[in-house]
Amino acid sequence: MDLLDLIDTIQSIADGLLFGATYAMLGIGFTLIFGVMHKINLAYAAASVGAAYASLLILAGVKAPPAVVFLLSAVAGGVLGGIVYVVCFRFIPLVNPLATLMSTVGLLLLIDEIIVHETQGVPLAYPALFSDVIVRAGPFGLRGDLMFVFALGCVSMVVLLLLVYRTRLGLATRAVSQQPTAAQLCGISLDQVNGFTFIVTGVVGGVAGAMTGAAIGMLSPLLSLPLTVKGLIVTVIGGLGSIPGAIIAGLLVGGFENIFQFLRGVSERDLYVMLLLFAFLVFRPGGMFRTSSARE
Amino acid sequence: MRILAVAIAALLGGAALFVPESTFAQERTVKITGFGAKSGVVRVFGVNSEAALKAAAEEINNSGGVTLGDGTKAKIVVEFLDDRCNAEEGISVVRRIASTDAFIAVGPTCSNVAESLFGILQKKVGDSSDSGLQFPIIADVAAKGGLAKISEWAFRNVPSEFEMYKSLFAWLKTQHPDLKTIYGGVEKDFAHSNATFGVMKEQAAVNGFQLAGQSEWLLADTTFSTQVREMKRADADIVAISAHPFTTCGVLKEMERQGVKPKLLIGLTSSSSIETLQGCAKQAEGIIIPTSFAPVTPEAKMAAERVAKFGGSADLHSAAAYEVMFILRDVIEAQKIMARPDTVAADRVKMREGLAALKETKGLLGKIGRTPDREAIKPFLYVHAKDGSWEVLYNPAS
Repeated sequence: MDLLDLIDTIQSIADGLLFGATYAMLGIGFTLIFGVMHKINLAYAAASVGAAYASLLILAGVKAPPAVVFLLSAVAGGVLGGIVYVVCFRFIPLVNPLATLMSTVGLLLLIDEIIVHETQGVPLAYPALFSDVIVRAGPFGLRGDLMFVFALGCVSMVVLLLLVYRTRLGLATRAVSQQPTAAQLCGISLDQVNGFTFIVTGVVGGVAGAMTGAAIGMLSPLLSLPLTVKGLIVTVIGGLGSIPGAIIAGLLVGGFENIFQFLRGVSERDLYVMLLLFAFLVFRPGGMFRTSSARE
Repeated sequence: MRILAVAIAALLGGAALFVPESTFAQERTVKITGFGAKSGVVRVFGVNSEAALKAAAEEINNSGGVTLGDGTKAKIVVEFLDDRCNAEEGISVVRRIASTDAFIAVGPTCSNVAESLFGILQKKVGDSSDSGLQFPIIADVAAKGGLAKISEWAFRNVPSEFEMYKSLFAWLKTQHPDLKTIYGGVEKDFAHSNATFGVMKEQAAVNGFQLAGQSEWLLADTTFSTQVREMKRADADIVAISAHPFTTCGVLKEMERQGVKPKLLIGLTSSSSIETLQGCAKQAEGIIIPTSFAPVTPEAKMAAERVAKFGGSADLHSAAAYEVMFILRDVIEAQKIMARPDTVAADRVKMREGLAALKETKGLLGKIGRTPDREAIKPFLYVHAKDGSWEVLYNPAS
C-alpha cells in the first residue's frame, strides 16, 4: 500500500463515518420502537424516505430554503410514524409478533409503491446545505454537507436522549419498555406512550430521510430497501433497544462499507458488511450494548 | 299538417331501410396489448410506452383506423399490462394475453424480462417438436443486444447500441484527436448498463482510446466517493458512465465535489432523458449520449406533443413504441389480418410472417432498416446536455 492508497483508505473511512450518521438515525428509530414495544417496524426506513419525498411534493413549485424542506420532512415523518402505528400496531394483537412484522412489511411495500406512483419512479433532486463546502486538511477533504448531516444527526441523538432520560414522557416510555403491566398499574396509558414513540421516531426518521436525500443530492424509491437493511444491521450490531449502540453501530457500518468498497470492490462490499452482522449474531448476539430487554 | 308529418316520418323510415347495414353494425375494434413496467422504480418506462402506444393509436384512428382482411375499417384500442420488470410476471402476462384473441403483443420494458420471455416462445417456426408459445411479440424498450435471436416469434424496434457507440467513438476520434485515455464507470447490477459498458469499452479500444481504469457501483448505491476518487487518480481525458439517471447523477455530483473534470463525458442511452436533467442538469452539462430520438423532424415533434397529451414523455424508448403501432397497422393491412376469434391462430402466423418479411419501416427520424434476425437498424443522433436541456450535437447521417 503506497501513500496514495493510505490517504484514500483514511478518506474512505472518514466519508463512511460521516455518511454513517444517516444509518445511525435510522438505527435509532428501529431500536427505540423495539425498546418500547419489543417489535420490529420494517416500514420505518420506507416511511423516512416517504417523509423526505412528502417534503418535496408539498413544496412542489415553491422555492423553499433547504432548512424548511428538512423541517417539513421531520413533520411529515412524525405524521407517517403515527399512521404506521395506527395501521400496523394499534389494532393488531401484539401477542402475535409475526402479525405486526408482516403488516409492516406490507406497509413498506405500500409506501414504496405510493412513492413510485406519485413520482413515476423518477429520481428527484433533493436540496442540501453546505454542498459546495469542502473542509481541507492536507490531502484530506471533508464534505460540508456530510458534516452538516453528521452534526444534525448528533443533535437529534442528543435531543432524543434528553427526551428519553430527562422528561416525564421519557420516563413513561422507559417504564412501558421495562414493565408494561406495572406501568399500566401506575396509570400510564400504553397506547399513548406507544403512539408517542412512533411519532417521535417518525420525526427522527423524517430527519434521517431528509439527511439521506441531502447527502446523495437525490431521492429515489430505490432507497427504501437498502436503508431498511442497513437500519436493521445497525440495530442488531448496536444492540436491540440501545440508542448509544445504534449511534456507534451506524457510524461503524458506514465506515466499514466504505473501507470494504475501497479494498474489495462493489461486488464484495456488502458481503463483508453481512459477515460483520453474522459475526455479531454468533459471538455477541445482544449487540455491542445489549439491553436487559434484548437479553430476555 | 298531420298528413305532412306522417309523410315525412314515412320518408325518413324508408330512407333508413336503404342505409347500409354496416352503418348500424357495431364499430369494429382491434385490441393491441402492450406490457411493461408500470410499477417499481422503472415505472416511468411503462407509463411512457403506454402513452406512446395510445398516442399513435389515436393518430391512426383519427385517420380512419386500420383496414382488416375483410375490407372493414377498425379502430385500434390499446390495453397496457404491468409486468413489474419481473421475468415471471412478464411470462405470466404474455400467457394471459396469448389466451385471448390477441394476435400480437408489444413489450417488454426490461431486458431481463425479454430474455426469459422470448425463451418460452417457439424457437424455430414450424418445429413440431418445440411446444413453445406461437405468439408474436415486438419489443419497444428492452435494449440488451441480440435478444430477438432467441425466437423467430420475437421482434424488436430497439436501437442497436453497438452501432451507436461504434459510430460515437469513431466520431470522437476524428473530432478530438487530442483525447487519448478513457475511464469507465458502470452500474454493475443492471443488465442493460453492464452490457452497454462492454460495448463502450470495446469500441473505445477499437478507436485507439486507452482504458485508464473502471469503477463499479450498484443501482441503489448512495455514496460514490471511493469510486470517484479512483476516477480522479486515473485522470483520464474521457469519462464514460454506463448507468441510469439515479446513479449517473450521484456520480456526477460526487465528481463535482471532488473536482473531477474530464475533457469529455459520455453517458448511457437511457440517460438522455428528462430524469437526468431533473436530477442533475448542472453537473450533466456537456455529457454526450447517442440516442434514436430527438424532436428534430416534424413527425418527431408531433409525436412528442401527442405522447405528452397522454401523460408520457417521448424519448428513445417511447418513440420506439410509437413507431411500433404504425408498423403493426401496415402489417395488419398488408397481411389482411381478420381479427376475429375464429382466425386467431392464422392471424398470429400472418403477423409473424409480415413482421419477418419487413426490410424497412418508417421511423420518426427516418427510415428504419430491419435485419434478418428481426432487429432494427434505427437512425440516431448524438445529443448533449446544454443549459438544462438536450440539444442535438451531431447527426451521423448528415
